[in-house]
Amino acid sequence: MVSRILIANRGEIALRVLRACRTLGIEAVVAYSEADRASLPALLADEAICIGPADAKRSYLSAPAIISAALVTGCDAVHPGYGFLSEDDAFADAVRAHGLTFIGPSSHVLERFASKEEVRRLLAAHGLPTIPGSGLLGDEAQALEEAERVGYPVLIKPSAGGGGKGMRMVRSARELAAVLPICRSEARAAFGDDSLYLERWLEENRHVEVQVAVDRYGHGVHLWERDCSIQRRHQKILEESPSPAMSPAGRRELAERAVKAVVAAGYENVGTLEFLVDADGNAYFIEINCRIQVEHPVTEMLTGIDLVATQIRIAAGEPLGFAQEDVPQEGHAIEFRINAEDPEHDFRPGAGTIERLNAPGGPFVRFDSHAYTGYDVPPFYDSLLGKLIVWGPTREAAIARGKAALSELVVEGVTTNVAIHQALLTSEPFLQGKFTTNLLDRVGAAAFLTAAERA
Amino acid sequence: MPDQPRPGDRSADQRAADHAGIARLADALVPALIARLGSASLGEVEIHEGDWHLRVRRAAGGPRRERPHRPALPIVSPSGASAPAAAASPADPGDPRREAAVSPAVGMFKPSLPAGSRVRAGDRIAAVDLLGIAIDVVAPIDGTVVEVYPQAGDGVEYGEEVALIEGDRAPADGAREG
Repeated sequence: MVSRILIANRGEIALRVLRACRTLGIEAVVAYSEADRASLPALLADEAICIGPADAKRSYLSAPAIISAALVTGCDAVHPGYGFLSEDDAFADAVRAHGLTFIGPSSHVLERFASKEEVRRLLAAHGLPTIPGSGLLGDEAQALEEAERVGYPVLIKPSAGGGGKGMRMVRSARELAAVLPICRSEARAAFGDDSLYLERWLEENRHVEVQVAVDRYGHGVHLWERDCSIQRRHQKILEESPSPAMSPAGRRELAERAVKAVVAAGYENVGTLEFLVDADGNAYFIEINCRIQVEHPVTEMLTGIDLVATQIRIAAGEPLGFAQEDVPQEGHAIEFRINAEDPEHDFRPGAGTIERLNAPGGPFVRFDSHAYTGYDVPPFYDSLLGKLIVWGPTREAAIARGKAALSELVVEGVTTNVAIHQALLTSEPFLQGKFTTNLLDRVGAAAFLTAAERA
Repeated sequence: MPDQPRPGDRSADQRAADHAGIARLADALVPALIARLGSASLGEVEIHEGDWHLRVRRAAGGPRRERPHRPALPIVSPSGASAPAAAASPADPGDPRREAAVSPAVGMFKPSLPAGSRVRAGDRIAAVDLLGIAIDVVAPIDGTVVEVYPQAGDGVEYGEEVALIEGDRAPADGAREG
């Protein structure tokens, strides 16, 4: 049983978890850093408790502070959100050791799926095709050797985390040697673990991921796929489902293979399997995310299933309660990540006071954000201000609804990436559904915006 | 892959580079940090660069602070009334000033000194139990503990004001708070 959850995260996901708690009749305590005292989740929670200074290492990444906060506020469970400690098996184990329920996979499952490099081998053994890659990198000389073996261009990836942090694509040994220390320090700062590995880089690829939910009793379903190919520097900014790149039969086959493999490998709770899809429609498994994802609302719009509530129920030991045939993929949904960053200046992140915020509305429009008029965007964390999600019976209808909703969205005081989304919704590659992950990076965001204005 | 070097293995070159780095630190950086510690009235200086960090801490007995106090926060008494701002101002050296001791961590409160105790800046007046580790709550100034707010066993959050200290009357020359 779970009756009072400590939400050990910030921003929009802290608010999303708070909302799930409310609908399940569970009390929610928000753990916040000094920089987030006035954020919406801290203000709306049943109780809020300051766990440390703005520096995430001493607040959102401090396992002792979070567990101590859960104990002194009488919680019986901890929800880690995404990022920070959400996939840290040592943290999950410490939470359990203090008699608390970790909302996510149990620590031994997280441990089995902790190393991205090992998981590729594990799921390959359970029938998923993977991309050639390396083992964990040692020193520079060994990294260069591995890269030669894998073949340039290669993508350097942190073994511990996601979200594009510590990730770089390099085309030569010289580039690899130059960015290796940068990737290491980024990975260490973001995940507290600087182990890296390499993956062969597919030039023209799409990023398609499959959402799964598996209960403790080995009963698993997929909740279809999401296409996350619209990225800038390996960070997703727009996600949609169904994927315009795949046929209905291809989507179904990929989703079924994915859930079968993770159930066989012993996964539990909600999770996402990420694939790269090449120009011929071949899908290669790259990594699994053992947590709720930023883009989970896309799936919620199509299936009608509350993924955070599902996550909490599974962690509490409940059976899944629905079968594969109860998971529809109805219509089309698009999510726009609204970031406080300037697309005309290399996506430079911004901070400051939001002078005015007007959230879009209307049928089949959802806006998840921790911000409000007068909110100070702190400079310490990632730039995600909120997510706009729209649904329509067809992709065209969803795009039209997205345009209307983006035109209603007003954010004054900080620069946002809304212009990029508006440009995307008028660009031919996007409208035709024919784009790959390098759509924005190939021309540069500023050039992309200029081209959209001329069209 | 049994022969693969592991991240923990270090080549002779790396070790030599580390020794050179340590020598550089000892010769150049440490004296500069000590000078800065002296001039800035800080208790502790910590810097990070690349893979390493370096912390220089003032020896016990000096005007040490475990963490910087937060003069921007209003000092609130339990009744909710703010202490007069003038009381904390060095401009009026005759008045005793009051400062709050704040919790350095989120955890369970354990008082160690009762109200009325005399303290020096840096003395422990209470502890916060963080999963079995006692973290000191220290007096921000020399003076007398006027009140301790939480009861033993209460949960306290990071930065919470847990005790009020009334400072000694400042010397007539209005010396700065160190």
